[in-house]
Amino acid sequence: MTSSLFGSAISGMNAAQAGLATAQHNIANAATPGFNRQEILLGARPGQQTGAGFIGQGVDVTGVRRIYDQFLGVQVLQEQTQASYLSSYRTAISQIDNLLADPDAGASPAMQNFFSAMNGVANYPESIPARQTLLSGAQFVVNRFQAIDQRLTNIANGLTSQITSSVTSINAYAQQIAALNTNIKRAIGSSQSGQMPNDLMDQRDQIINQMNTEIKVSVQTQSDGAVNIFIGNGQALVIDEQAMSLRATQSSVDPSKLDIGYQSGSNLIAIQQSSLQGGNLGAYLTFRDQSLEPARNALGRVALGLATSVNQQNQLGQDLYGNLGGNIFNVASPSVDKGAFNSGNALVSAAISDVGALTTSNYQLRFDGTNYTMLRLSDNAATNLGATLPQTVDGFTVSLTSGTPVAGDSFLIHPTANGARDISVATNDPGKIAAAAPMRTAAAMANTGSGQISAGEVVGPPPTDANLQATVNITFTSPTTFTVSGAVPVVVGAVAYTPGQNISYNGWIAKLSGAPATGDVFTISKNINAVGDNRNALQLANLQTQNLMANGTASFQGIYDQLVGETGAKTYEMNVSSKAQGNMVAQIIASQQSVSGVNLDEEAANLIRYQRAYQASAKAMQISNTLFEALLSLGR
Amino acid sequence: MRVSSSTLFDSNVAALNQQQARLLQTQQQIATGRRLSTAADDPVAATRALDLTRSDAINTQYASNRSAARHTLSITESVLQGVTSLLQDIRTSAISAGNGTLSMVDRKTVAAEFSGRLEELIGFANSTDGVGNYLFSGFQSRTQSFVDTPAGMGYFGDDGQRLLQVSESRQMSSTNSGADVFMRVRNGNGTFDTRATSTNTGSGVVSVGSVANPALLTGDNYSVSFSVVAGVTTYDVTNTTTAAVVSAGNPYTSGQAIAFDGMQFNISGAPKNGDAFTVVPSANESVFTTISDLITALNSSVAGAHLSNSLSRGINNLDHALDNVLSVRSTLGLRLNEIDALQSAGEDMGLQLKQSLSQLQDVDYNKAISDLNQQQINLQAAQKSFAKVVGLSLFDYI
Repeated sequence: MTSSLFGSAISGMNAAQAGLATAQHNIANAATPGFNRQEILLGARPGQQTGAGFIGQGVDVTGVRRIYDQFLGVQVLQEQTQASYLSSYRTAISQIDNLLADPDAGASPAMQNFFSAMNGVANYPESIPARQTLLSGAQFVVNRFQAIDQRLTNIANGLTSQITSSVTSINAYAQQIAALNTNIKRAIGSSQSGQMPNDLMDQRDQIINQMNTEIKVSVQTQSDGAVNIFIGNGQALVIDEQAMSLRATQSSVDPSKLDIGYQSGSNLIAIQQSSLQGGNLGAYLTFRDQSLEPARNALGRVALGLATSVNQQNQLGQDLYGNLGGNIFNVASPSVDKGAFNSGNALVSAAISDVGALTTSNYQLRFDGTNYTMLRLSDNAATNLGATLPQTVDGFTVSLTSGTPVAGDSFLIHPTANGARDISVATNDPGKIAAAAPMRTAAAMANTGSGQISAGEVVGPPPTDANLQATVNITFTSPTTFTVSGAVPVVVGAVAYTPGQNISYNGWIAKLSGAPATGDVFTISKNINAVGDNRNALQLANLQTQNLMANGTASFQGIYDQLVGETGAKTYEMNVSSKAQGNMVAQIIASQQSVSGVNLDEEAANLIRYQRAYQASAKAMQISNTLFEALLSLGR
Repeated sequence: MRVSSSTLFDSNVAALNQQQARLLQTQQQIATGRRLSTAADDPVAATRALDLTRSDAINTQYASNRSAARHTLSITESVLQGVTSLLQDIRTSAISAGNGTLSMVDRKTVAAEFSGRLEELIGFANSTDGVGNYLFSGFQSRTQSFVDTPAGMGYFGDDGQRLLQVSESRQMSSTNSGADVFMRVRNGNGTFDTRATSTNTGSGVVSVGSVANPALLTGDNYSVSFSVVAGVTTYDVTNTTTAAVVSAGNPYTSGQAIAFDGMQFNISGAPKNGDAFTVVPSANESVFTTISDLITALNSSVAGAHLSNSLSRGINNLDHALDNVLSVRSTLGLRLNEIDALQSAGEDMGLQLKQSLSQLQDVDYNKAISDLNQQQINLQAAQKSFAKVVGLSLFDYI
């Protein structure tokens, strides 16, 4: 009887000690990330059968359990991977947003400055300081484009190292999880009654959480306590005690980028980017392909459009030395990358043919053995180009430089990507700005009629007609007919005259109006000494307000604004979503914590409870001792 | 609901962070005066603001183009004002020189005065804009506009006019070709020009004449030749272009209209036998030629009908030159007026753009300051209550 009393009291003291230890463990780990509070499981010992019934024999500690809700755990994983995706995307895109829209650092003020200077030249074409200001303005624009492009490139380079380190972390996490799987399986196996190693499991869950912030994972628990981790479309990263690894490798399509591959034995299998979702890695890849690259292409398009249009107009004019205008800017050419798996030896080149039709997309040229197909990567629109090159798509022309393609070969074309990087000012001579038109018109002083000829302009686009500056005489043989001399090809016979009609020979166009008399002569000739002529400068200045880009729908600054607007809208979206997702995560974590988190007051109460229980059991022990003493004293 | 201790801290820290971020944003808005710091703050307003900023910059550009145009136009106007009064002076002197009482010496004095005024006029015609650009040389603004050559005053500019973009849709010419101002002056009456032959000996003085019937004009040259036989004066009209006789033996009465082929003029005085007058289509005659012709006439020793014919022809051509200058000046005035109108429209536009821009991107200080106060109070409350809440612990009582 007393021995059972002793046993029962000791079991109570043991249980209270276990309770105290667990409460203390909880208190100690109150701030440990990933810790789930634990509680002891108690069970009453089966009673000893007596004639009077079953007499209790004390308490057993049947186990220590962690308070963990599987359902909430999965939810936290889901929300957190999305939250880290959004937050990384937001951080990344904010950099571009600040860069592009900054009223001082963006390209918009520089372009404005350039065109203001161009207006200055149009106002004072003979002024060297005005021309010098224009060249400085051109240099300023170039510097802005290059600086922004450099910044975007730096961001891209930063992303490359972020992607690499993200992949490294994921691999390290996979190794750790596999190792923990081993330990957990062993711990479960070594405990006779299948007790769970709670703290190891917490640790593993915490690592899964961390991996999940890098990339979205799905977790499958095995009956032996190990977990399997999958990413994307079911690529296994951890199977039981074995960890696979990911690798960041140069893309086979675009050598300037990293792709993620899946290491399976000695083979590297490329993973479809669309299947790498969520987490930091997902954010880096999506940001790079859907925001950064289009932004760089869009910036390049602005630079290409500005430089090419200004060059073309300048070529239609005449510089201060009386020569036909040349280029003011050096313009980038599209880059073409040969596919890594091409088996043919074909080399393809691309050139801009119409800046107005350019888009901000990249393109893939494919050859199927007979025909070429151009795939616009932004919307996957395919254009069949037929069997021969060169062909023109969306403002650029692709040509076969050498070699022969084989079916399945492909080429990646970036029409505008280098536009902002490779722009530069082509001249430092203010006299080379072609403010004047290369020809001028004159009515002979001896004319007796009231006929007039307009100042005329050169017909674009360049190159200009070889005979542009040849002298052409329009002689009226009657008030309604005239003959033309000096035109190439030669104009034979009389031409009928209608007042207000345009005449166009040798690459220029001018308007005749009024009532010329017989014998009146109008002369179109080389524009010598024309330092005060601003006709071409005026056209150059007016390029600013013309809708020359995006198939005639926007101006240079218009498409730049579009870029700023799109980036701003995306950043705004990311700000809002990321904030909402952050709240969502906070809520779900609060729910999880309300189940699994440590409440110090509760643990304080537990400490008191188990202290009291211990004291009470000790008292019972004392009492049983007293009883035993009483029994012993009977024999005295 | 169970609350874990770490949730207490985490949620409080998150809330405090949020409040501080909002407080910082409001403070930045107040400090910079801008509601939008990046496009992401309000993408729609930000793109609209870029658009408006650009429109405003272009509008400002047009204003500076206008001031360039106004500068050139004003200088041209003041030069042409000088030309106008000069031509008026010459005209007045030329009329008084026709007075028969003037002696040969007097006429030579007038001629000398005219020579001086001609030099002055050439000075006006070769005016520059103050930085070495000739006002009347067209595109060749560094080439002297008018140079005296053996063949008379030559124009070395061209017909080019400098157009400036003075508003979104208006290109205005800021210069005038010297040819239009000084060279392309129609002589005669604008359609035909009557002249006395220099060898005339009679006192016949021909009028400028007018067009009687435009439909009958031929554009040919004619000669009217007189013969005096037995005290009876008759004249023949010959088309010298076709060598056809238009009419012959017409009886002459001084001052009576002579009309043929749509033209009409009169000859007064007493032409002598063999005197002739020519009628040719009007041509361009420079104002310099007109004045130097007058000087030649005044310097010539012959007075009488010869002088009268030269003077009347010269005065008539001066009138045309004056009209021409005045009409150029009126277009200058119109252009200056238009610039003023465009200027005030441009300023209104600029004001509107700046207002819209300010509404889009400038901070509303009343709202911002009230927000700041509220956020400050909120933050303080959160800080104080947090301190109280975390201060509660059961361990304090064990």
